[in-house]
Amino acid sequence: MTEGQESFRVSVDVGGTFTDLVALSKESGDILNIKVPTVPRNPEEGVMTALSRFLDGREPSSIRMVGHATTIATNALFGQVDLVLPKTALITTKGFKDVVEIGRQRRAEVYNLFFSRPRMLVERRHRYEVEERMGPDGSVLVPLSITDVEEALKDMEAEGIESLAIGFLNSYANQSHEEEVLRMAEEHLPNVRLSASSRISGGYREYERFSTAVVNAALVPIIHTYISQLANDLVASGVGAPLYVMQSNGGMATAKVVSDRPVTIVESGPASGVIAAAWLGELVGRPEVISFDMGGTTAKAGTIRGRVPEVVSEYEVAGKVHMGRLLKGSGYPVSFPFIDLAECSAGGGTIAWADEGGALNVGPVSAGANPGPACYGTGGKEPTITDANLILGRLNPQSLLDGGMPVYRRNARAALEHLGGKLEMGVDEVAASVVRIANSIMSKILRIVSVERGFDPRRFALVAFGGAGPMHACPLAEELGIGEIVIPPNPGMFSAMGLLTADIFHDYARAMVRRAGEVDPAAIEGLFMEMEGEGRETLIAEGVETVAMRFQRQLDLRYLGQSYELAVDVASPFDSEALAMGVEAFHRRHKDVYGYATADEPVELVNIRLRAIGMIPKPQLKENKTSSGSVAQKDQRLVYFEGEERWVETPIFDRRNLVPGAKIGGPSIIEQYDSTTVVYPGWILSIDKHGIITLRRGGE
Amino acid sequence: MTVDATTVEVIKGALIYAAEEMGVALRKSAYSPNIKERMDHSCALFDHERRLVAQAEHIPVHLGSMALAVREGLRNYQGDLDAGDMILLNDPYISGTHLPDLTLIAPVYQEDELVGYASNKAHHVDVGGKAPGSIAGDSTELYQEGLIIPPVKFVHMGRIDEGIASLIRSNVRTPDVQMGDLRAQIAANNTGIRRLLELVEEYGLETVNASMGAVKDYSERRMRAEIGRMPSGVYEARDLMEDTGYGDEPAEIAVKVTIDGDSIGFDYSGTAPQVRGPVNAPLGVTLAGIYYTLISITDPTVPVNDGCFRPVTLHIPEGCMMNPRRPAPVAGGNVETSQRNVDVLMRALSQAVPERVPAAGPGTMSNISIGGLKRDGTPWTFYETVGGGSGGRPGSDGVDGVHVNMTNTMNTPIEALETYLPMRFDSYILRPDTGGPGEWRGGCGIERSWTLEAPNATLSILAERTKIPPWGLKGGGYGALGEYILRRRDGSVERLPSKCTVSLEEGDSLIIRTPGGGGYGDPLKRNPELVLKDVLNGLVTLEAAIRDYGVTIDRVKMVVLIEETDRLRASSGA
Repeated sequence: MTEGQESFRVSVDVGGTFTDLVALSKESGDILNIKVPTVPRNPEEGVMTALSRFLDGREPSSIRMVGHATTIATNALFGQVDLVLPKTALITTKGFKDVVEIGRQRRAEVYNLFFSRPRMLVERRHRYEVEERMGPDGSVLVPLSITDVEEALKDMEAEGIESLAIGFLNSYANQSHEEEVLRMAEEHLPNVRLSASSRISGGYREYERFSTAVVNAALVPIIHTYISQLANDLVASGVGAPLYVMQSNGGMATAKVVSDRPVTIVESGPASGVIAAAWLGELVGRPEVISFDMGGTTAKAGTIRGRVPEVVSEYEVAGKVHMGRLLKGSGYPVSFPFIDLAECSAGGGTIAWADEGGALNVGPVSAGANPGPACYGTGGKEPTITDANLILGRLNPQSLLDGGMPVYRRNARAALEHLGGKLEMGVDEVAASVVRIANSIMSKILRIVSVERGFDPRRFALVAFGGAGPMHACPLAEELGIGEIVIPPNPGMFSAMGLLTADIFHDYARAMVRRAGEVDPAAIEGLFMEMEGEGRETLIAEGVETVAMRFQRQLDLRYLGQSYELAVDVASPFDSEALAMGVEAFHRRHKDVYGYATADEPVELVNIRLRAIGMIPKPQLKENKTSSGSVAQKDQRLVYFEGEERWVETPIFDRRNLVPGAKIGGPSIIEQYDSTTVVYPGWILSIDKHGIITLRRGGE
Repeated sequence: MTVDATTVEVIKGALIYAAEEMGVALRKSAYSPNIKERMDHSCALFDHERRLVAQAEHIPVHLGSMALAVREGLRNYQGDLDAGDMILLNDPYISGTHLPDLTLIAPVYQEDELVGYASNKAHHVDVGGKAPGSIAGDSTELYQEGLIIPPVKFVHMGRIDEGIASLIRSNVRTPDVQMGDLRAQIAANNTGIRRLLELVEEYGLETVNASMGAVKDYSERRMRAEIGRMPSGVYEARDLMEDTGYGDEPAEIAVKVTIDGDSIGFDYSGTAPQVRGPVNAPLGVTLAGIYYTLISITDPTVPVNDGCFRPVTLHIPEGCMMNPRRPAPVAGGNVETSQRNVDVLMRALSQAVPERVPAAGPGTMSNISIGGLKRDGTPWTFYETVGGGSGGRPGSDGVDGVHVNMTNTMNTPIEALETYLPMRFDSYILRPDTGGPGEWRGGCGIERSWTLEAPNATLSILAERTKIPPWGLKGGGYGALGEYILRRRDGSVERLPSKCTVSLEEGDSLIIRTPGGGGYGDPLKRNPELVLKDVLNGLVTLEAAIRDYGVTIDRVKMVVLIEETDRLRASSGA
């Protein structure tokens, strides 16, 4: 690179419809945004299209880092876009080959007589049982039968198995049998990818651990191929910068690391939005925020406390969601930290309809990008949330995307009129009702991530993004008693921005089920050190300097007899004092989350967790030095506000013309390329030097 | 007062959400795996007239009984309930299921104005009585089944009544767990109270009341529309409980379903009188089966509340097995008779809407309770239910190894059990050739077995379908019977009856084999490739492929021999 040349960090977020590229100039702080259509069958093509558009006239060497979020793993598990899952096998304890099929023996939908389990990732005939048995304390009850393993491996070769999961009962307490099978498989089947349950998750509870290994095994060949293809394409176009991929835990990892542990990137895309919200919250001095991401088909919410997103240690991938909650038993469990999101079917394209009881419903069906909302004029006939917003005057009546996409008000009106006819409502009323009902659905996911977790939403700021998020933020904040809303410069590209703000994470866990009073702190310190060693090695291989490394230690604790754990941070080095402080923190956390704590109940340790972090410098946004406080109004139009139940003459502004220090009272509307912000009456907008919008209630 | 439709819709969603959030609070803070892992509980909200307005989708068998418990349980407390009070009860002749289900009801007041009630019901692992787990298979009176709690003010002005608490503690085998779970039940009701009051604060009491009324009317309209689409007529069916836990005699459940326009009637005349053994089903259990069946075969998206059940008329003679008189024992009514009740109801309705009704599922919950003293002398109890094969369906096979109909509880992880309890598991696996043959095969049953690692223990089994198998539909075959085998340490093997209590010693093993589901449609019409797939996967043997499906498979190449199959099928069909 020549002296003085501009250098960039580039991120690419591949979504269902669009592939978003964001490039940040290190020198100027300028941000470039590029949107291209996603190529579902070959997502790397969309990535390269966006990249070559960016590179137009620039040196490939100006790119210093590439961040990436992908939905390929989820798509593969959902059986979408012709991604064929590899022939996968499982080796397990004799007598237990159906643990992975029976699961928790529950049906996901209680009243659905026609329910089915998700497709088995390992066919029953490819589940091999071998003689072996570990006790819950790690003692060997039955030694591993080498002959059984050899026979199984031989059969796998004949069957053309491509990927193998290994899962033995109680292997969390003693992994030696799994390790032995790994060794034998490496030798006998050098081309088969291997995933041992105790290495992939290490957690306790056989079904969840086996399932994690199986999901990993099914994904390894696909992700390996995809990542290598992408890496090759990058090199071919002259980009030598390292490729990082977002994991479900909100941290990045190098392409090589995720290729072996693809189970970690299943919820890659949604995680980046929350990470971006955490970063933005910190930038505006709000370490506690609720992220609210409303796109074309869904809305998602997450919580960030003390700059750290809430995580869950287990999730069902490719599962069904109902009213913000995952239907247990509808997907594949994965034990790995996931950014804890609640999701509902409410996006711009979500369809409104009337049922037989005469009630207005919104979702779960979406018109998606094709045929799209009625107002797009691309064949959609059903009224959507976008159509309702258009009729209510919130969206520009002529076009979206800075004039790049015309909209047809009469189509939206016709669709809503038809719906109103069934409900005996006028067009305005039905449109306002669609918005109210959509908001009530979305308020539930905001409650799930705040109130249900024991957090008072009034202490949080709401970070609203996604194309439609800033349009619905005010009434949702009012519903939850939130007084401040933060809207990033480019709400529609914000998830891609998150990829530039994330650190590198590697999570490790060891199970140890024992009363807190009976554990040996030195033994736990040993396990922490072991995991730290693994983490350090991986970070070094990723090129992270020692000064940029951090290690976080946690224990999963519960009251003896409970079966769900809470994670608490513990000090390093781990000694009896650290243990006592951890137990105390657990009582406090239990009180926060569940409303009570019983200090005299014995506490039990379940898992020991370590996160190895490689810190990446945070992006510096460009400062707008313009000092003029006056803002030119672009237009005005009548906008319907459901709280006021009337049409209000409302000024319209162009976001590009907002200057730092400007204050605009509601009602008002801010239009920009990738989003529209609706400032409700009673809210006041201000904008800072970075172009970040803050809305405050009552102008506080 | 009328409220606009949109506000009603918003309040409807908030009520359902509140009931769900109660469930989250209960599950997260409960102690016993029964509630936390298996989710054997339900939560609901009621209006000020004690009518159900919202119930979270938890356990179907609580569907009918929760409403009954709130209606009947508060009868003697009218005018005697204040904010902060909660009524506890488990008397099955009031609260409608069986003794281990403890119902806790809290009134919700805004100042002096009664808004409604929050209520939840949870299955406790033990409530005393003759056998650990309180689900003995051989009781002859309610008194043997455990502590009977009439409606009592367990929480008074926000404080637990220590007298009642200590009475309960003294009568159960694991008092600490019970108290932990009761605290969780209180937390759940407090969540419901909070949410309901928030709604009142936002919309005003009058609007909330009117909306609760509108929500029920809405469910009624939806349900009537669904019933109206089914062909009017009279549909009858019967099926047997293979024995009653007292003697070997079977007992019959008979039902006559009458669909008349947009109403539906259920008449149980002809059902056996109440029996000596513990398989009597209290009214709440019978109602739950009716409601479950109705919701499942119509539209599960209709919000469950009082309104859904308005189109339903009932005739369930008092003193029959499905509506017994005190003090008939009822432990198995909830968990076994309830399943047969649904079998009978589904069979009747399959005549009206054959395209919506699967063949019979396992028809049992295979209840296993065990307890005793560990080697160090500490007491332990464990209760679980084991899934089976669901029935074949028009257009799809039944599901293998799953809970069907009136239960949907999760299993407890083997690794968790082995950590805490003196049990070592020997298998957890599907049973080949147990799914009823059919164009759409019934699901396979489960084998689950373990060995006792404590000096001794008392085991109770309460199950069904070890003599009379699950039926098929439209030419589909029977699912396999269940069996319960005790292998003594010395190697001797004994087949246990489906309802019994026995003593185990260290080293003894129990092998539980649950029934498969019935098949749907003629097995000779099953796609031979699907038969081959089942054979490859070891769920159907080569012998059964020939015998039941008329499909011949080349044992070396593992392909269907088409000509031979055609020939075999032509001759079998003739």
